[in-house]
Amino acid sequence: MEIVYALAIGVLTASGVWLLLRPRTFQVLMGLSLLSYATNIFIFGMGRLVMYRPPIIEEAGATDPSLYADPVPQALVLTAIVIGFATTALTLVVLLALRGLTGTDHVDGREPES
Amino acid sequence: MLLTLIVLLPFLGSVCAALLPANARNAESWLSGVVTVACMALVASLYPQVADGEVVRAIIPWLPQYGLTFYLRMDGYAWLFAMLVSLMGALVVLYARYYMSPEDPVPRFFSFLLAFMGAMLGIVLSGNLIQLVVFWELTSLTSFMLIAYWYHRPDARRGARMAMTVTVAGGLCLLLGALMLGEIVGSYDLDEVLAAGNGIREHPWYTPVLVLVLLGALTKSAQFPFHFWLPHAMAAPTPVSAYLHSAAMVKAGVFLLARLWPVLAGTDEWFWIVCSAGASTLLLGAFCATFQRDMKGVLAYSTISHLGLITLLLGMNTPLALVAAVFHMMNHATFKASLFMATGIVDHETGTRDLKKLCGLRYRMPVTATVAIVAASAMAGVPLLNGFLSKEMFFEESIIAGSESGLRFTLPAVATLAGVFSVAYSVRFIHQVFFGPPAEDLPRRPQEPTRGMIVPSALLVAACLLVGILPSRTVGPLLETSMRSILGPDLPAYRLAVWHGFTVPFYMSLVALTGGVALYVLLCFRKKTMVPTPLLSRLDAKRAFDVINVAIVRGAGRLARFLFSRRLQTQLLLIVLLALGVAVLPFLVTEWTRGDMPLTPPDPLFALLWIVGAACAIGAALQAKFHRLAALIMLGGAGLVTCLTFAWFSAPDLALTQIAVEVVTIVLFLLGLRWLPRRLAFDTVDRQTLRARARRTRDAIIAVTSGIGIAALSFAALTRPRQSRLAAFFFDRSVEEAGGRNVVNVILVDFRGFDTLGEITVVGIVALIVYALLRRFRPAPESIGVPRAQRDDVLQGALPERLDDPLPRGYMKIPAVLLALALPLVRVCLFCLLLPGPR
Amino acid sequence: MNTVFNYAVTFASLCFVLAMIFALIRLFRGPAAQDRVLALDTLYINGMLTLLMLGIRSTSTVFFDMALLIALFGFASSIALAKFLLRGEVIEP
Repeated sequence: MEIVYALAIGVLTASGVWLLLRPRTFQVLMGLSLLSYATNIFIFGMGRLVMYRPPIIEEAGATDPSLYADPVPQALVLTAIVIGFATTALTLVVLLALRGLTGTDHVDGREPES
Repeated sequence: MLLTLIVLLPFLGSVCAALLPANARNAESWLSGVVTVACMALVASLYPQVADGEVVRAIIPWLPQYGLTFYLRMDGYAWLFAMLVSLMGALVVLYARYYMSPEDPVPRFFSFLLAFMGAMLGIVLSGNLIQLVVFWELTSLTSFMLIAYWYHRPDARRGARMAMTVTVAGGLCLLLGALMLGEIVGSYDLDEVLAAGNGIREHPWYTPVLVLVLLGALTKSAQFPFHFWLPHAMAAPTPVSAYLHSAAMVKAGVFLLARLWPVLAGTDEWFWIVCSAGASTLLLGAFCATFQRDMKGVLAYSTISHLGLITLLLGMNTPLALVAAVFHMMNHATFKASLFMATGIVDHETGTRDLKKLCGLRYRMPVTATVAIVAASAMAGVPLLNGFLSKEMFFEESIIAGSESGLRFTLPAVATLAGVFSVAYSVRFIHQVFFGPPAEDLPRRPQEPTRGMIVPSALLVAACLLVGILPSRTVGPLLETSMRSILGPDLPAYRLAVWHGFTVPFYMSLVALTGGVALYVLLCFRKKTMVPTPLLSRLDAKRAFDVINVAIVRGAGRLARFLFSRRLQTQLLLIVLLALGVAVLPFLVTEWTRGDMPLTPPDPLFALLWIVGAACAIGAALQAKFHRLAALIMLGGAGLVTCLTFAWFSAPDLALTQIAVEVVTIVLFLLGLRWLPRRLAFDTVDRQTLRARARRTRDAIIAVTSGIGIAALSFAALTRPRQSRLAAFFFDRSVEEAGGRNVVNVILVDFRGFDTLGEITVVGIVALIVYALLRRFRPAPESIGVPRAQRDDVLQGALPERLDDPLPRGYMKIPAVLLALALPLVRVCLFCLLLPGPR
Repeated sequence: MNTVFNYAVTFASLCFVLAMIFALIRLFRGPAAQDRVLALDTLYINGMLTLLMLGIRSTSTVFFDMALLIALFGFASSIALAKFLLRGEVIEP
């Protein structure tokens, strides 16, 4: 299971980084999204992989942490997802504005000379 | 409590002074006067305690666990300086009331002056090294403001900048030195540092600490080679100069040296560094002062020279020299301040400070002349004045230290030579200004100034006389208290007396006096014009400073141009490479191992799921350039699989958030897609060029490497056991204290509620920015044609009138109706999502 | 939980995941944009069902809420995509 999980993170990261280095705004944006998926899964994985034990206390007194998945990385990732969304939205709009101002969708605001 | 008040009062006064109207000269002066006199009275009221050898303390804990407290302590030495600072402050305020012209905005002046005084008192009374450095930098800052008071004058701006650069750079060194001292001792507490002298001197860090602290102190006290800022700081108003360069700013350096004397002194390093700096400054300052044309220039260089004298004394490593140094600090403060004030009076009344123009002022300003003559005599070291006493002590110590260090003749010779020059410039200062025939071509007709200007100066001169005639009665007890607080019980026996008999120091004084007068007469005859300074006129430290300054700025620009690229791709590449490099770094020393936790049994379903996810991700990466919509849909697929992964590993909340965000992101992207230019595979030719191909290969390699790296890293992390004390904490408390069973939710809305509030704020800000940007900078509708789908609609006509008419080609009736029904719902959903964050 | 039931659930989830893979193939091959949108919709539905199977396996009710929301959001995203295909933009001025 861990191997699959690690490979998944790797694939997401590789795709994200590849897109990040591309010259078009849309590509960079997609890259950012993919990279944020990868990061979120990575952070989440730091709580280790636990199945069928969500951190919801069903009966009172059952507060042994080994009964549940670790809630701390989950809380972190939850925040990260929302902030990541905000970042993506902001970048999207900035890039749109760039497109409106310069007429091109190249990240530098102008087509390369060569 | 009283101590805190002493430091706090000037700052409070400063704030009040800043708030008064610009023309409230009297109110400002009264306020400042009251504050300074109150400080003085408070300091004076503590004398009985201090005289008993007690150390008055005020401690306000701030971060006690890191050894950081607001700690004020006053022993005899601190008392002496606090008194000096507040007394001079009061006199300067009185003087400034009459000196500043009605056009000058006085609130700024008095506000900064009071703040400066507060910072200075803070330095003097600090019982914590870090706190001392903070106040130290505050004095640099406020002195910058004071020197640049007439900021319309370029020389003032320049002098202020120079003073600030030099002293703040020194302050940084001092901070480093203080931190290292704290590390050595294990505490920043001054008491503990002073008690740990032997440990510090034997510590391997001793030399670097010494050099750093000395850099701080010597820059502040304008010692060679950092002396050049002081003459340029003379562009300040004269009261500021009188304060900064006699009692306060420049004394901070020597104050610190004497304060840390028991800790740092006593070694060869100390002797050689401090003595050589002091001796060269002493000679250089005295020499330059003899040839200045500006009255304030003479005083500036003589200040440098006298500070050199004090530094030299401090460097001599004997307790008696330390006594002489502290004594001279006080003496110098009194006569130099009164001389500055006299200069200010002359400037104020005649409109010039040029020694070549001024002449014979004693006829028109007899009182000022008398005051200045006495003060200058004290500076020259004429008997029966305080300067004579400390200078004779200095001569004596130079003989002793010289014989101890093998500089048997050098040190006394240097001392005498400096004495000769000091007499020469004092005589010149007085003779040129006040003697000779009355000058005719002065900008203003000189007359005796108002009493308010002459009184402070006269008081100081009276002090010079009193101390000079009756040293043991007046200043003796104060000096002894202060010395006892530095040196402790092993205070050497010394005698403050006017007459020691026909000793070697007395002959040295005599030589200096006669030699000085002779030198002046000689110079008068030899050359009518005494500017510029012979020999040293070409050696301009200021130019060196400017050159270095420009070089640094240019170098920074060049470095920025070298490192910085305007192209986003290059920047991103650098960031990714840097992240990769940092991640690889640890594996240079250790090797990658997997953890020893057993693997959880693999689930083929999960693997299949991630085949879908990985395919989506890679597909999105490949399609993003030419098939944006397809790429977007694949991104959606990858997001879905991510969401399922969260659900799989027991994180239902994450899964919910992920799916919500996912969908909203897709909608946002769809919004943006409409404005992007069409890009077709056959439009571009850059795929073919060799460079483009090389670039793509490079990027692919980087991407794959990062992927492999992060996969390896996460695998290594996942297979290692983990204990979290945090989790136990939250499980224990979430039901009882927060009343929630879903621990993740409880963490977010309760334990870390403020974080979540901040997060919501961020989302809100982003929403506002999105709105504003879209409104202002959206691409113009004309720049992009109507979408193809809509164009087709128009071509094929609108919806048919009757229901049973055939629909236009490609038009889907049922989805259209469904969509019309569902879109409001979707809008509501999206709106709900935006509101509280997707919880 | 008895063995037959267990096998049935596992088999069902396997089928759903396989369905996802087939949807993926459609997503990649296209050819029209409409096909891809439909493929994503199918992906969402099957993902939701996989989640339900997971819920049955773990005998936990938490998964049902999630499945519901995935369905809702999947629907929303399909609608948005469909609108985009129809009109060329999602929210018309």
